[in-house]
Amino acid sequence: MDAVVGEGLRVSGLSYALIFVVLGIFYGLIKLLLKILPPRDESA
Amino acid sequence: MTDLLRGIVGMSDWRVWAMFGVGLALIWLAVKKEYEPNLLLPMGFGCLLANIPFSSAVGGGFLDVLFKGGITTELFPILIFIGIGAMIDFGPLLQDPEMLFFGAAAQFGIFFTIILALLVGRIPGVTGIPGLKEAAAIGIIGAADGPTSIYVAARFAPALLAPITVAAYSYMSLVPIIQPPIIRMLTTREERMIHMENPEHEVSKTVKVIFPIAVTLIAGIIAPMSVALIGSLMFGNLLRESGVTERLSKTAQNELSSLVTILLGITIGSSMGGKQFLNPTTLLIIGMGLIAFVFDTAGGVLFAKLINLFRKRKINPMIGACGISAFPMSARVIQKMAQQEDGSNFIIMHAVGANVAGQIASIIAGGLILALVR
Repeated sequence: MDAVVGEGLRVSGLSYALIFVVLGIFYGLIKLLLKILPPRDESA
Repeated sequence: MTDLLRGIVGMSDWRVWAMFGVGLALIWLAVKKEYEPNLLLPMGFGCLLANIPFSSAVGGGFLDVLFKGGITTELFPILIFIGIGAMIDFGPLLQDPEMLFFGAAAQFGIFFTIILALLVGRIPGVTGIPGLKEAAAIGIIGAADGPTSIYVAARFAPALLAPITVAAYSYMSLVPIIQPPIIRMLTTREERMIHMENPEHEVSKTVKVIFPIAVTLIAGIIAPMSVALIGSLMFGNLLRESGVTERLSKTAQNELSSLVTILLGITIGSSMGGKQFLNPTTLLIIGMGLIAFVFDTAGGVLFAKLINLFRKRKINPMIGACGISAFPMSARVIQKMAQQEDGSNFIIMHAVGANVAGQIASIIAGGLILALVR
């Protein structure tokens, strides 16, 4: 396979996987925030 | 006298007429069809200004100054992101954070198109896509996000900026035409009729304030190249959610956004010179842009179907298609489709959540591509 196409496959695969990883971290962050800062805190 | 005549003589070049046609077509799409009029109209007029023979607007004129100051420096897309951030309500996403993953899945078209562009660039006779940077700039059309496309293209392939921008904004406006047939092809009627419960819990203001700050810090630490993009989006959102900068938030949403859109549109239009724009690469970019949007939609829908294999409470797979960044167009399209199948089906909250997730995911995709492509 052409080296440039190979590099494209590597970068594309890695980037796509990393998007899931980063958004997975955001998912954990939101879950954590919702747990430690529920809406009822607002009235306190 | 010679100065007066050279404009008329310059009209003998067929490319001038062709680009007048392109400029007028963009203005027609904006005025008659209302396709992204805020951008296509300035772009169309900028195209006319740039293609008048010996135009004083380009070749050192004010449009060149704007290009160097706003596009080469990447300032305009960044300022647009502040406005977009101030317009976005992340509430539906914070209520239902699972939607984040649909935003990730629907970036598939970007990466499929990068590979496709690389393969097309290897075809003998195709000269406009020599390497990975150009392919990445074309692939990023699949971010379905104009400013991200401009930001990446300006850095990786300035010569392809105009057709990439035209493709990105054109297909964003054509989402109601592009997405439904792909979704129907990949889903059954029963799947499209799946109801989803709306999340009942509210989100506290504190969470809404912390979210943009935390996302900026996390994304920035993981991919420093994304700081400008994600940071400006989240800064705009913080202005909105803080509750103490209402004047600034409204300015970002209205005056800043409108002003920069005018300048961005007319400047991109001015880069559509006949010599650069009228070539086979432009047609290839327009074609591959459509493929990027198609595979974004397919990626999101198929991911939702995959998730459903492991879930008791099924997700309406059309939600996956909302993971593209075209906000709020895609969410509206999917809600309309859901109601066409079943008038009592309201999935708009989930659709909006996935759609704003797509906004974040597309920026992360842009940042990662900028960081990884050498």
